[in-house]
Amino acid sequence: MKNRLRVLRAEREWSQADLAERLEVSRQSVNAIETGKYDPSLPLAFRIARLFESSIEAIFTDEV
Amino acid sequence: MTSLQKNPAMRRYYSRFVSTMSAYLVLLLFVTWYFHRYHPHGLFAYILAVLPSIPGLGFMVAVGLYLAEEIDEFQRNLMIQALLWALGGVLVFASVWGSLETYVHIRHIQYSYAFFVFWICYGISIPFLQRKYR
Repeated sequence: MKNRLRVLRAEREWSQADLAERLEVSRQSVNAIETGKYDPSLPLAFRIARLFESSIEAIFTDEV
Repeated sequence: MTSLQKNPAMRRYYSRFVSTMSAYLVLLLFVTWYFHRYHPHGLFAYILAVLPSIPGLGFMVAVGLYLAEEIDEFQRNLMIQALLWALGGVLVFASVWGSLETYVHIRHIQYSYAFFVFWICYGISIPFLQRKYR
């Protein structure tokens, strides 16, 4: 699943560690999601969407 | 699971793991020494013989508690993957060794070795998983 996490993070000048801290997950988790190696659960996807004040569909796309 | 992320759940897991490992080693050495020296028998011997396996259950409890307490779903997922690799390793090892015992009569090994094989496979899988998700 592709996503715009890296772009959204860059817009706010957040490092992966910054985002990880805000989401209360590990930096490794953020990296795995960002690179598409791990698809977050629905609750985590909602947390990400809320943090970026966006919708899940605007951040994640089901393209492979 | 990673040494990388020392969150509270992981710290508690390591602490429980070290405690149970220490208990296991102490009990194993004690029971081995006791059997060699006193040759116990009857019900007492049975009870004594299973003593070292109790911390083995403790390992499983430590893993179960970690999976219940870990709030980072990705880290939980990594632990589950490592456990599956370990389980697969034990099954493959048992299958290969069992066939070798049956057909070419190599030395029989104790079932308790499965415990070591499980944790060795678990330990080997961690760096590979860390590398995969680096």
